[in-house]
Amino acid sequence: MKAADEVKELARGFRWGRRPMVPRSAEPHTEEREDVGFPTDWARTEAGVAARQAILRGIMHPLVRNERSLRVFGLDHLQDVRGPVVFFSHHSSHLDATLILCTLPDRWQRRTAVGAARDYFFDVWWRQAFTALVYAGFPIDRARGGKGIDKARELVRDGWSIVVFPEGTRTPDGHMQRFRHGASRLALELGVGLVPIAIVGAYQAMPKGRWWPGKGRPVVTIRYGDPIYPQEGETHQSLSLRMQQAVAQLFDEDRTTWFDAISRAERSETPSLAGPVAPAWRRTWEGSRPVARRGPPKAWE
Amino acid sequence: MTTLALEYFRSAPRYVGARTLGSKAPGLIAGPLAPLRLASVKDPEPPAGRSGWARVRPLLSGICGSDLSTLAGRSSFYFSPLVSTPFVPGHEVVGELMDDCGDLEAGRRVVLSSVLSCEARGEEPPCANCAAGDTGRCDRVAVGHLKPGLQTGYCNQTGGGWSRMFVAHRSQLHAAPDGLSDAVAVLVEPFACAIHAALRARVEPDQSVLIVGAGTVGILTLIALRLFAQPGHVTVAAKHEKQRSAARLAGADEVVRPEHATKSVRRHTSALKLTPERGPDFLMGGADVAIECVGSRSGLDLALRSVRAGGRVVVSGIPATGADLTPLWFRELDLVGAYTSGTETLPDGTREPTFDLAIHSSQDLPILERLVGATYPLDRWRDAIDHAMSAGKLGTFKVAFAPQG
Amino acid sequence: MPRPGFVLEVDERTPPLIVHEGEGYRMQKFPLGTRVVYPPDALPGLRDLNAHIRQALLNPVGDSKPLPELLFAGMRLTIAVDDISIPLPPMVTPDIRQRILEHVIELAARAGVDDLEIVVATALHRRMTAAEIRRMVGERVYRSFWPTHLTNFDAEDKDGIAHIGQTEEGEDVEIMKRAAESDLIVYVNINLVAMDGGHKSVAVGLASYKSLRHHHNVHTMLHSKSYMDPRPGHSAINDSTIRMGRLLASNGLKIFQIETTLNSETFPAQLGFLNKREWEWSTKDQALMMAAKKANEVAPPRVRREFFRRIEASYKVTGVNAGEVEAVHERTLENLHRQQVVEVDGQSDIVVMGIPYVGPYNVNSILNPILVHCLGLGYLFNMYRNKPLVREGGVAIMYHPVPWEFHTIHHPSYIDFFEEVLADTTEPKEIEDRYEERYATDPWYVHLYRTSNAYHGVHPFYMWYWGAHGRDHCGDVIFVGGEPKSVARLGYRRADSLRDALEMAKDSVGPSPSITYFHAPPIMIADVR
Repeated sequence: MKAADEVKELARGFRWGRRPMVPRSAEPHTEEREDVGFPTDWARTEAGVAARQAILRGIMHPLVRNERSLRVFGLDHLQDVRGPVVFFSHHSSHLDATLILCTLPDRWQRRTAVGAARDYFFDVWWRQAFTALVYAGFPIDRARGGKGIDKARELVRDGWSIVVFPEGTRTPDGHMQRFRHGASRLALELGVGLVPIAIVGAYQAMPKGRWWPGKGRPVVTIRYGDPIYPQEGETHQSLSLRMQQAVAQLFDEDRTTWFDAISRAERSETPSLAGPVAPAWRRTWEGSRPVARRGPPKAWE
Repeated sequence: MTTLALEYFRSAPRYVGARTLGSKAPGLIAGPLAPLRLASVKDPEPPAGRSGWARVRPLLSGICGSDLSTLAGRSSFYFSPLVSTPFVPGHEVVGELMDDCGDLEAGRRVVLSSVLSCEARGEEPPCANCAAGDTGRCDRVAVGHLKPGLQTGYCNQTGGGWSRMFVAHRSQLHAAPDGLSDAVAVLVEPFACAIHAALRARVEPDQSVLIVGAGTVGILTLIALRLFAQPGHVTVAAKHEKQRSAARLAGADEVVRPEHATKSVRRHTSALKLTPERGPDFLMGGADVAIECVGSRSGLDLALRSVRAGGRVVVSGIPATGADLTPLWFRELDLVGAYTSGTETLPDGTREPTFDLAIHSSQDLPILERLVGATYPLDRWRDAIDHAMSAGKLGTFKVAFAPQG
Repeated sequence: MPRPGFVLEVDERTPPLIVHEGEGYRMQKFPLGTRVVYPPDALPGLRDLNAHIRQALLNPVGDSKPLPELLFAGMRLTIAVDDISIPLPPMVTPDIRQRILEHVIELAARAGVDDLEIVVATALHRRMTAAEIRRMVGERVYRSFWPTHLTNFDAEDKDGIAHIGQTEEGEDVEIMKRAAESDLIVYVNINLVAMDGGHKSVAVGLASYKSLRHHHNVHTMLHSKSYMDPRPGHSAINDSTIRMGRLLASNGLKIFQIETTLNSETFPAQLGFLNKREWEWSTKDQALMMAAKKANEVAPPRVRREFFRRIEASYKVTGVNAGEVEAVHERTLENLHRQQVVEVDGQSDIVVMGIPYVGPYNVNSILNPILVHCLGLGYLFNMYRNKPLVREGGVAIMYHPVPWEFHTIHHPSYIDFFEEVLADTTEPKEIEDRYEERYATDPWYVHLYRTSNAYHGVHPFYMWYWGAHGRDHCGDVIFVGGEPKSVARLGYRRADSLRDALEMAKDSVGPSPSITYFHAPPIMIADVR
């Protein structure tokens, strides 16, 4: 048989260009393919880290700065923290991960990976490659509960910090949704700290459904908080709740002052981020209220 | 709250890509050209203040030929005002009620009659078709208090079967008997369509019938024909070996490859066979009725060219464009469409909802157990779509999602 | 937990399957409905092998004292090891035999043993070369003992053979004199297939022609169903060696048996796709397969052969057991079956087998037509328990090019057997009656066996008998891609493709036969219910 014919037969038999197929009678004897397709570990090698930092500093950071006014607070909280930690934030926009990675100090930026939904970000090879390269992305399987965070566990054990969005998906209306328990379970299991982050204004700048920030350099504030640590005998539910409160407190701090926020938190009066119990239009209306610029108005405004 | 769902969205580049490259490289349609995404979507909600709606947890949800032609960019723009994007496809569903719904209690297993007719849309009084029970012919599928959508699975508001949850109206729900396995229950909707098509064919006793295609639709149509009519000689044209053996099992008198179909019909009807300068052979004389169950141009051509003058051609698959209608005119054929289901008039004159017929008769048809050849969880949707696109070649009839897996 | 073996039914979703054919392989699309028997996945190897060996030597099974207690100063100690015929292909160094030998010799040295002989239990196989022995036993053992106290067994050394007695069935038992006169024999075995090990080790490995002829004959082979099923009553050859082994024991021979089992990692990582199931092949595996196949096809025969000769299996050890022969062997078989047994439901009309490039008798050599017959209808056909995969009167379809080609140093008597004996008759019984004696005693063959590296004159006869049961059982044997002349000489038929072969098989099994493809290597045993 000629080589070309053989290759043709192989292509037909193995269905090149189509999805791989398991014979019917072999199904019970074939394990489900784990971590479909594309490995991500290459992106966490030395070369991967260097490439990512180049992209973050050379492309992403200037781009972000160009499109909006960026303000960062609270990095001093990270000064004395030893890694790895779990960074977590509410999830308001596709910008979130970029903003966090770009604003992290070098020491953290080098060894921080971002958790991304397997069903979307690890679905086709080019999106996988992009996610892995730019965000050191690793898959979180939101359909699988406890097993979905296997990769996260492996990374933290390897000394990598991770960024997760415990809501599991971006907010539809600007308000914070219930936290899922993957991050708190992981922190309890491995005893690592959880660093809250509040991203104020990203929803207004680029809400779900948009692919590029709006015009006019919207203001976005990123506020890092004090790490919280799981306490002896704490349940993951209560830890998740504390995490939500930590983010809410950061928002409060952004709106008022640090001192006010603390005292309100002491009195359990921190305003909730869950938004009003009201019709959808009012939730969206409140959620998309523009963030006021602070300080004197610019001369040309 | 959100639900995991496979969502169809409009994308011009993917549409163009799928249309132009899809036939050359079908792998792309399940790959980068798929206008689908697995996402956590907002829970579908029934129209505010309306009763009779309930949430359904799909257990099995079939992939239908019409779904595939939508993904491949081959369905007609005729449908565009009748759907609302983005939508969650999936209209062949067996599921579990999450809420009480009229007389059906929560937890009850149900099958879905997918048409969103006047009753579900709160149209009062209903259109004449709905009033007569022919819900498949409802005139109001684009209006009312629901967004446009001819069926669940094409409507932005209700969600669809390819998800962990969607909402359905009482008028769409039929209790699945306990004896009916999920794998059979998911076929009730296509089986109802098949019964509808078989009865639309109005086959007189002992008339000869040609069924073109023996995929799920073809096999179910053949079964329905045997159950609800008394055809004479039934010929089935089928491309793949497994389809041919299933057709034999389902009661075909003769099963042939498509290229031999005209020859075989000719033998049984003593017709004349003529060969035009271009295009396939045709018969002068031929079968009394032909039912097209593929939805391809060559399938419809074969049907049109194999029936006798004054005969009937039933279009059961989504019709492809480009078929040569000359025989329709020259042989004075009846061209009959058959879309979903409604209420049937049986030969003895009684009227029965198609779904009742389908549910009732599917209980003692062991062959139905074997039609669902593969199930996939939602996160393996690309595998599922790819499999469904060459199901015949791979020896599978129906590919379905098992969304809770 | 590695996955057990299973039986695949070829359907529309099944890719083409790999079939070995000598020094090469092909991708074969099988008819729908063909059953394919797949071996279990490789079991994990033992983690700390040294600890396991030590443990086995210190805690023997059955009626045996720990090895250190059996060793004493001034004793005569003989250590026998299996020869190059196992494992297949040769395993990456260090060979498990080396590791065990080092432990045993260490203990002997500590006990003050001076009179220590190591013998390679070749029986009538060819002598191993110095290089082969060094590779097998390792540099340290080789340097200490070769060539004076590390030797190949010589079954034709009249002074070196002792007649022990006769079994209750009148079978002569003759083994190496040095072993018979030792205070202790330590046997170091590798159990690659179920036929190996147990009493066969000493009673066959160190035996003479006079003793071997009682079980290596047509009658026993036709009554061994199969010889790979060592349960009493199933294998006449095994029953015979057990009788001989027990006679040795009752004559006061002390044997400390050490048996090892390997997993099924038959191919090195570079050819890893050969260890995998086809539908699990990645694109890389497919590309590698295709590239290797094409490179192999265009390579000159010598290069090709050299490439295959250099393949080393990455076998891992799955068990080490030591002590009294029968107790040890029982455990060994348990381990072996854990790795190799696949349950198959019923026989079929046709069995398809791909014959690989290497069998027990052509390591570093050539798989000549007689060995092809032996590997196919002997070894592969007999890899069953209860019933053969193919029904009586069914057809065996095998893939091999069967070139008319012999290794002149290793297989001189084979050449004459092929040219003289098979040209006359292929009937095993007739061959045995008319030719065996002459070949077995031919002085030239004896000379080559003792001084060169030739198989014994009678060895090709055994190869022919080895396939006697398969030949007798099958109604027809067809070689796909076989050289017409040599296949005809073997008394079989040939075809160009599987399609043609199936067409030819219709004569025996009718128009729509059931087909089973035995997807080996890796080695497995089909337990046919």
